[in-house]
Amino acid sequence: MKFKRDQVCGLALIIVGIIFGYLTSQFSKPFTPEYPGPKLLPAIAVFGLIVCGAGVFGNGCRQKTDDKLLVDLTGFIRIVITFVILCVYVLAMKYVGFLIASPIVLYILTTYFSKASNLPTKLWARIVFSIAVSLILYAMYVPLFGMTLPGGLLFD
Amino acid sequence: MLENLPYILSQFAVPMNLILMVAGTFVGIIFGAIPGLSGTMAVMLFMPLTYTMESGTAIIFLLSLWIGGCSGAFIGSVLLGIPGSASAVSTCWDGHPMAQKGQASKALAIGMTASFTGTFFSALAAALLAEKVADFAFAMGAWEYAALCLVAMTMVLAISKGNMFKGLASTCIGLLLASVGYSPIDAELRFTFGNMYLMSGLGMIVVLTGIFAVSHIMVTFGKGFDPAPEVDSKGLKGFGLTISDIKEELVNIIRSFLIGLGIGFLPGMGSGLSNLVAYSTAKNASKHPEEYGHGAAGGIWAPEVANNASIGGAMIPMAALGIPGDSTTALLIGALTIHGLEMGPMVFANSGDVVYLMFFTVMVVAAVVLVMQSIGKRYFPYILKVPSVYMYPALLVICLASAYVDSGNLYKCGMMMVFAAVGIAMEFGGLPTSPLILAFILGPTLEKNMLKAFQYSGTWTSFFTRPVSGVLMVIAIFCIFSPIIRAIIEKSRKNA
Repeated sequence: MKFKRDQVCGLALIIVGIIFGYLTSQFSKPFTPEYPGPKLLPAIAVFGLIVCGAGVFGNGCRQKTDDKLLVDLTGFIRIVITFVILCVYVLAMKYVGFLIASPIVLYILTTYFSKASNLPTKLWARIVFSIAVSLILYAMYVPLFGMTLPGGLLFD
Repeated sequence: MLENLPYILSQFAVPMNLILMVAGTFVGIIFGAIPGLSGTMAVMLFMPLTYTMESGTAIIFLLSLWIGGCSGAFIGSVLLGIPGSASAVSTCWDGHPMAQKGQASKALAIGMTASFTGTFFSALAAALLAEKVADFAFAMGAWEYAALCLVAMTMVLAISKGNMFKGLASTCIGLLLASVGYSPIDAELRFTFGNMYLMSGLGMIVVLTGIFAVSHIMVTFGKGFDPAPEVDSKGLKGFGLTISDIKEELVNIIRSFLIGLGIGFLPGMGSGLSNLVAYSTAKNASKHPEEYGHGAAGGIWAPEVANNASIGGAMIPMAALGIPGDSTTALLIGALTIHGLEMGPMVFANSGDVVYLMFFTVMVVAAVVLVMQSIGKRYFPYILKVPSVYMYPALLVICLASAYVDSGNLYKCGMMMVFAAVGIAMEFGGLPTSPLILAFILGPTLEKNMLKAFQYSGTWTSFFTRPVSGVLMVIAIFCIFSPIIRAIIEKSRKNA
């Protein structure tokens, strides 16, 4: 059996609602009609999620045709790869800092975006862009506005 | 009001403030003009930069980004036929056909003048009215504030077409995210799983930038970038508008202004709706409605005056009640709280100078935008040609840098990636993000006031027995069910 988009979405909302409903029930302060306490807001959200999840699921069941997917498989792979690159970037900032990690990740992203989108760019342009943007951002955040960016564990 | 003038003028005498105003306006216009980006995103990304600034400087910078973004949205609509943001959707319908007829200069001039008119006069109206609304708000208790928060969250649902469950689910996700950390009044830890980084809550920048910006950029890339658009830059010389052109549309301008101001004032509503209402009203009232959709000047005036008039309209509840008129004012309320300014009726007594600085800044920035756009009109096509392959990687790096600057640790950057995944899942499921933004920001205010009301009265019925909160609760309930009611009415009409 093939699920429609809204059916999957509705089920996901119901599951999230049930999980958070269970977590909400574990709070120590009791929920009473006189004073619902810290359970009030999560309880409203959980109730809403389950009801809306059921509604979205029901809508999905009534649909004769499925909605068009947001992206195709190629697009999905692009999203996953970009996501992984950014997660590695966060880790890289931890060890080598913003100033080294950023130009590298910018170069990788511009190259990947360019190739995947079939929009050619010049190698020197990507290198200059990656270094320039990193330096501009560093100059803007650190000396100009007096903030800190990751220095990197290896250089501490 | 006038007693605050020395403070306001002193802020505009600081060279750094003027530089940030021009820079913010410039960046805002670019974010507004490029389809897929928005003034809201600009405010979100650059908000952490303001943490070390004086409150006056921060206000000038953030408002410049916002106003620039709102005023730049029509550029894409006119030159490409693709709206820069939801606030300029109906500008496409006549702006682009007019540009295709070789009157791009006139279409842009109307957009610029209309944006200035809407922004400037709505900010003036806000400056005159906000304190009066605040005086009224003193009579409001916890019940009314809680009900007002509910109205703000549910009004977004009322305009979601056939998406009631999804809009409401997005609101509930926002409320759930707002619950993380210590609960108000009882100080019980919720959903922290023993993690100290979660005890003070998730953080506005981390959640909203992750869900709204990072995920959006990744999904846009997943869908595939379009090549840089071809924009006809011929005929962009001169201002392109005469006084008689303005006189011809004066009634349309005033009507659209009032529509924009009124819709902007409603909590939860904003320029996304006002431009559509003003356009359809202008078309219905026109002597030549058949010209609409084929390059009618009135079809550009109406949406552009209305969407910019919503700015001042949204600022009234923001300042006087602490309730956002739209998602950007919700962000601004959060940003101002970081600077020690709690919006609401007391703000006029405690920080009246800063509030009037806000209104004055909007008026000044409206004029700066007009001047910048008039001078830079011939360069608009170049803004729209910024290559996506360079722009989006830079924005992703700015997003992660913002998360680090916001919290001072890389853990929050990791959390931002988690919320980016949540945002992507929401886009896949077709869940809108605007209700989440409003619910996440209003959640704590809603909960605090609901719990206070329960403490005072000990029963939920008091929300309905007090006249003002009763009316507001009925409106909120009506808004939740309005898509169903509308569907039933439409079905019965068809059957009849």
